[in-house]
Amino acid sequence: MRTGRRLKSLQARLLAPLLGLLTVVWLGAAVLIWFDASHELDELLDGHLAQAAALLVMQQSGAHESDSVEDAPSLHKYTPKVVFQVFHEGRLVLRSTNAGTVPISKTEQGFSTVRLADDAQWRVFATRGVERDVQVYVGEQTESRDSILWAVLQGVLLPLVIALPLLALVGWWAVRQGLTPLRHLSQVLARRRPQAMEPLVIPDLSTEMVPMVQALNGLFERIEQMLVSERRFTADAAHELRTPIAAIRAQAQVALGAGDDAAQRDHALQFTLAGCDRATRLVEQLLTLARLETAPASADDVLATVDLSAVTRRVAADLAPTALARGQTLALEAPSPCPVAGDETLIGVLVRNLIDNALRYSPNNAQVVVSVAIESGQAVLRVQDSGAGMTEPEIARLGERFYRVLGSDQPGSGLGWSIVKRIATVFGAQVQVSRSERLGGLAVAVRWPR
Amino acid sequence: MRVLLAEDDAMLGDGLRAGLRQLGFQVDWVRDGVAAERELASGDYAAAVLDLGLPLKDGMDVLQAVRASKITTPVLVLTARDAVPDRIRGLDQGADDYVVKPVDLHELGARLRSLVRRAHGQMQDVLRCGAVLLEPSARRVSLNGECVTLSTREFDLLHVLMLNADRVMSREQLEQQLYSWGYEVESNAIEVHIHHLRRKLQPDLIQTVRGIGYTVQRTSAPT
Repeated sequence: MRTGRRLKSLQARLLAPLLGLLTVVWLGAAVLIWFDASHELDELLDGHLAQAAALLVMQQSGAHESDSVEDAPSLHKYTPKVVFQVFHEGRLVLRSTNAGTVPISKTEQGFSTVRLADDAQWRVFATRGVERDVQVYVGEQTESRDSILWAVLQGVLLPLVIALPLLALVGWWAVRQGLTPLRHLSQVLARRRPQAMEPLVIPDLSTEMVPMVQALNGLFERIEQMLVSERRFTADAAHELRTPIAAIRAQAQVALGAGDDAAQRDHALQFTLAGCDRATRLVEQLLTLARLETAPASADDVLATVDLSAVTRRVAADLAPTALARGQTLALEAPSPCPVAGDETLIGVLVRNLIDNALRYSPNNAQVVVSVAIESGQAVLRVQDSGAGMTEPEIARLGERFYRVLGSDQPGSGLGWSIVKRIATVFGAQVQVSRSERLGGLAVAVRWPR
Repeated sequence: MRVLLAEDDAMLGDGLRAGLRQLGFQVDWVRDGVAAERELASGDYAAAVLDLGLPLKDGMDVLQAVRASKITTPVLVLTARDAVPDRIRGLDQGADDYVVKPVDLHELGARLRSLVRRAHGQMQDVLRCGAVLLEPSARRVSLNGECVTLSTREFDLLHVLMLNADRVMSREQLEQQLYSWGYEVESNAIEVHIHHLRRKLQPDLIQTVRGIGYTVQRTSAPT
C-alpha cells in the first residue's frame, strides 16, 4: 500500500520534492542570515555601547562637585531601552531616568549581560576613566537587538510564506500542463476499440513519451499477431473438422439407405466409426496444439529432467500393437538413459507424434526404427522409416498447419507436425527432416541443446 | 445419370459415391485436381461434385480451366470453405452451386438433379413426352397416368433421352452417360434396353435414326 500511495499522483511526486527542497533551502538561508545578522548586530551595537561609555567618561573627566544625582532628560520614546550610570569616586552622579542607584553590573570593565529590576535582559558595557575615579555603565535592552533581528528575518521569511503557496500553485499548473499529452494518450486509449490493432499515431508527441508509445505499439503488434494466429487457428480447425463430419454423415446415410444390402451397410458403419475416431483424433490434436500455443515459448520455467529413453520406450510400447496390426516392424534402439530438460508429458506427445507419423505414412510391412543416443553431448531422437519418403518441397512445407502430403490415403490432419515443431521450440530442440540412408524412407532427428 | 465426384478424402469420397449410387446416380470418383479436369474435359458427365481443396490442382483452378475451355457441365462445389467471399468467388468462377460440408446426401442428389434439369433448359423436375411422364426425384415413370416399372438402366436411359429430347443421341453418347467406370458394357446393351422401353411404354416413343442413334420427340409443349 505504501508504494501505492506514493505512486498515486505523478503531480504530487513532482511537486512535493520540489517544494520541500525549496523550503529547506529557504529555511537554511534564514538560519544563516539569523546568525550572520546577530553577529554583525552585536558587533555594531556593542561598538555603540562602548562609544557611548567613552563619551560619558570623557564628559565626566571634568570634576563633578555637585552632591546631587543628575537625571539625564529623556529625549526620545526609545530612551527607556537605553540605560546609563556615571559614578564619580564611587558616587552616582549621572544616570538615565530608568537607572537605579546601584551599579547595574558587577563587572567593572567590559561587557556583561544582566537582568535588572524590570526583569528584562540588558547588555551592559562598563568602563573606568583614565584616573579611575569615574565608573561608567552603559546598558541597552537585548530585546531591541532581537527585534532588529526579527525584522531582518521577517524580510526573508515573509516572502517564503507568500511564495510557497504561489509556487505550489504555479508548479501544479505547470506539471498539469506538462502531463497533458499523458492524459491525451489515456483518452485515446480509452476510446480505442479492442479489435483496433493499428499503431497509435499521436501528433506532437513529447520526447519522453515516444518510448512509451513505441512500447504500446509493439504490444499491439504482438497482440495482433496472436489474435491473427488464434483466428486462423479457429477457422482452420472448424474447416478441418467439416470434412470428417461430412464423411461420418455421408457414411451414416449410406448405412441407412443400404436396405437389404448388409455388406454395404456394414462397410458404411465401419467407415462411420472410423470417421468418429478420426474426428476424435483431430480434436485431440487441436486441443494439444491450442494448449501448446498458450504454453511459454521458452523452457526457462521447465527445469525438470526427463529420461528420453524411458519416454520413448513407453510410447513405442503403446504404438507397437498398431504397427503389428499392419505387419510393420517397430524397433527401438535406446541402450542407455538419456536425460533431457523438459516436461515428460510434452516430450511424450512429441515422440508419439513422430512415431505415429512414421507408422501411419509407411506402407504395410514397413520398417520403423526409433533410436535415442547422445551425439557430441547432445541428446538425439531419431525416427526412420522405410516408407516412400518425401521430396524436398514437401519437407519444406512440413509443419504448416494442416499441410498433408498429397495423394496420401491416410486420414491425417497435418497437425502432427505442427505439434512436433511447437514442442521442440518450447524446449529449444531442433528438428531435422531428411532422407533415411539406412531405411530409404523419411528420417526425422530431434536434437536437444547441450 | 452419370456424375463425376472429385474428392480427395478417402472416407468422404467413399460415402458420397455409395450414397449417390443409392440415389440412382452413376458415380465416377477422382481424387485429385488434374484427374478432375481431365474427366470434366471428356464431357460425358451430366454434372460434377467438386471439392475445392484438391491435391495437385486446386478445385478453383480446375473450375477456371474447365470453364475457360467452354465446358458447360454443371459443377456443384462441395467444400469446407464457408466464408461468403469464398462462396462468391466459387460462383463467379463458374460453379453452378456451392454447398458447404457436411451435406445431406438427399439434398446433394436433389441439387444435382436440379443442376442437370436446368442445364437442359427444364424449369420443372417432371419431364413429359406425349403420354410419358418421368419424375427424376422419385425415379418414377408413368404412361397415361399409370405407373410403369422400369429397371435402373432403363430408367436412366429414358431419362437421358428425355432430357435431350429432339436431339439424336449416339449409342456411344448414351453409353458414356449411363455407365460409370468399371462396368463392362456389352455391345448390344443399349439396343436391349431400348427394346424393353418400347415394349413397356409405347412402340413409337423412341425413334431410331439409322446409322446415327436414337431420339425422342417432345410432341407436346414442354412445361
